[in-house]
Amino acid sequence: MATDKNSLQLVTNGILQENPIFKLALSMCPAVGISTTVVNGLMLGIAVLFVQVFSSVTISLIKDFIHPRIRIPTYTLTIATWVTVIDLTLAAYFPAAYAQMGIFVKIIVAFAIITMRLEMFACKESVPASFWDGLGMGLGFLVGMVVIGFVRELLGSGAIFGYDVLGFKPLLFFILPSAGFFVVGLMMGFFNWIEASYAKRGKK
Amino acid sequence: MKDIISIIFRLTLSCIVAGLIMGGTFIFTDRAKKANEHAREEKVMYSLLGHDEGGEDPESMAMHELFRYIVTDGEEQFIGYLLPLSTGFEFITIGLDGSFVSRVPVQLSETQVLESGERDTAIAAALGPTKTIRFADQTLVVTDDGERSAFLLSGKFPGYKTSIAIILALAPDFSIIGFEVMEHEEDPGLGADIERDFFRRQFENKSFESIKALRTIKEPLPQEYFDALEGRIAEEEAAAAIMEKYRLQDIYALTGATISTDAVVMGIKAMTKKFAYRIETLDAVLADQQIAASF
Amino acid sequence: MMIKNRLNLAVWFWAAISALVLCSPAWGAGIVASTSFGEDNEIIVEFRTPVEVAIAGEAQRYRVFEETDPDILLPVTEVEVADDGTRATLRFADPLNTTSAHVVNAQGIGGLESTTFTVSKSYLGYLLTVLISALLIKNFVFTKYLGLCVFFGTSKRKETAKGMGVVFTIVVVVAVSMSWVLYQYVLKPFHLDYLQIVVFIGLTSLTVQAVDTVLRKVNPVLFKSFGVFLVLVIANCVVIAVPLLMASNEYNYFETLMLSLGAGGGFLLALYLMSSVRERVELARVPEPFKGLPIAFIVAGQFAMAFLGFSGLQLF
Repeated sequence: MATDKNSLQLVTNGILQENPIFKLALSMCPAVGISTTVVNGLMLGIAVLFVQVFSSVTISLIKDFIHPRIRIPTYTLTIATWVTVIDLTLAAYFPAAYAQMGIFVKIIVAFAIITMRLEMFACKESVPASFWDGLGMGLGFLVGMVVIGFVRELLGSGAIFGYDVLGFKPLLFFILPSAGFFVVGLMMGFFNWIEASYAKRGKK
Repeated sequence: MKDIISIIFRLTLSCIVAGLIMGGTFIFTDRAKKANEHAREEKVMYSLLGHDEGGEDPESMAMHELFRYIVTDGEEQFIGYLLPLSTGFEFITIGLDGSFVSRVPVQLSETQVLESGERDTAIAAALGPTKTIRFADQTLVVTDDGERSAFLLSGKFPGYKTSIAIILALAPDFSIIGFEVMEHEEDPGLGADIERDFFRRQFENKSFESIKALRTIKEPLPQEYFDALEGRIAEEEAAAAIMEKYRLQDIYALTGATISTDAVVMGIKAMTKKFAYRIETLDAVLADQQIAASF
Repeated sequence: MMIKNRLNLAVWFWAAISALVLCSPAWGAGIVASTSFGEDNEIIVEFRTPVEVAIAGEAQRYRVFEETDPDILLPVTEVEVADDGTRATLRFADPLNTTSAHVVNAQGIGGLESTTFTVSKSYLGYLLTVLISALLIKNFVFTKYLGLCVFFGTSKRKETAKGMGVVFTIVVVVAVSMSWVLYQYVLKPFHLDYLQIVVFIGLTSLTVQAVDTVLRKVNPVLFKSFGVFLVLVIANCVVIAVPLLMASNEYNYFETLMLSLGAGGGFLLALYLMSSVRERVELARVPEPFKGLPIAFIVAGQFAMAFLGFSGLQLF
């Protein structure tokens, strides 16, 4: 079975229709835990993008070699390998950013979204299609993280990328750890509302 | 049966490939990681000493590592120091009351002394089999033209969430030159502000006397002091005057993070007091025994 | 019924541990019956036989230092001895660092030329602190924000919440115990620390598979109700966070056990609390766009703020 979508559709599908954070509501932990600044969101987004793309391509490459009965263990092994690679690389070359992300890089290994894409897409499709799909999903996650980070950093510390833009701190509350839940909840509600009002307008 | 063999074969092969990829990355990144960590520490040390621009350290400046050990001989405990001398290294043992016990030369090269394993075996060999040693801490003594100009101490103490690791720079009279937070996991927006200038720089130039009685005060930080600490006052003289006005004050607690503030204040206080006591004891012994350490 | 039994068991377990901590045996050599930390600058010493109040009250007879810093004496400012001479309170100028053991040397107390004893927090108390810390203070869901996908997925009904929590606790305890053995005896001695992620996730999958197989054969009825949750355990980040935490803190086996019990119990607690609220929220009039997940997130945020109140809690 080959997918009938072209590469662009595969990428936008991950960012919009099936956005892992806002639509599928998967991999929520980092979205709540460390999205206090745009940079944090971006770094973890890149890490997830890397793992997703490499795992998708790897599984797609070796899909005929995998014995169907040990499918899931093979996925886990693949993901764990790439997570270890990105974990070691970040720790070595970006120690400051890595310290900010703490345990969350290692935790990518348990992200449901990655396993799900491998099972649903990469193990059936061609290598290029898997690459585009992985890229889309990874980018979708990255965009979600950056958007949440943007809102929290702007409202919480009045800054973007660490640069003071507002000159004051509107609501310190937003970068406090527990506020992550509120921000994600409010944003989900907001997007639902936009979607609903568009749908209504379409009917009229 | 054929199925099982096939599964085992494929799984083994996958594991070997995965292991090779991870092992390769580890070998590749491990060296870079160590080099980066070392570079970061060095950068922090130089910036604490005020040599950050250009990274050039003056010719006359030299750094000497001083390693402290706890020596146990049967029931009794001693403090031991590995001292750099002009002729090589020597291990000095001092009793708990500050009396001189023994001195033995240790066979080590300049590079070997930085490797904890080789250092420990060399010292153990020099001391003989009845004594056991335990590494306690290490201090960098900075000299300028042979005169001591600063001490650099690494320390770790419990914070609010996990431990906080810092590098503390002390002047020869044990007043604080500055400190830098190396590791912490305090909450962003609250305890994490211990890294910020307006908190860190409150400690600068505090005399040893004021450190001994240092406390946390739960009052809002005065605006002019905040501006001066963050370097937002353009005229240098005005900024210096404000800094001087608050120089011997206690530390203003971070809003909503009194426990983190207290942890840092107490940690620095304890580090400074312990170090001052130890170096004075060591100096007395060195003067008494006429040992010429290279610092 | 099964769950009720388990809850009862948990209560008994707690009671047993508390009892052990409270009557931790009075041991120690010579005249000292027991020692403990009092206020933040106090050490309390109980004597087996009464000592002379006047002699024991002299501050200069005591030499106190932290075990790791034998050369730094902590100055005793005042000693208060109870009238019957069985209890002395040593006060110090500065607050003590109660996490490390303190050595006290007393000269001429109770007719002995010199007695030395150590003061430290009770180990069982420390174990309990690890447990409570993982359960409440550092609850994995509400203060570390881990395991959220599964948390929101299974907290719609109380029944599923309980099932998921119990299954998760069992898997986590077994998997982390195995991880501890492998970490201490294979990864650490051979400097294979970088394989942590693969090994820990592999052991978890193995545990899930094993529990699945055993339960299917031994108790098919139980399997029917709990089997579905087993698959979800592997997608829960807590299951990998606990062994990583264990490795970075260098816990010994008992501490590891307490940590994993606390993590599992904390997850169960979080799920139960959340499902209780969500069952009611369903009946409430929530604005249309916020129905379902968004409102659940906001409720979780409120729980997270409430759990902040546990921070700084010190029991032992």
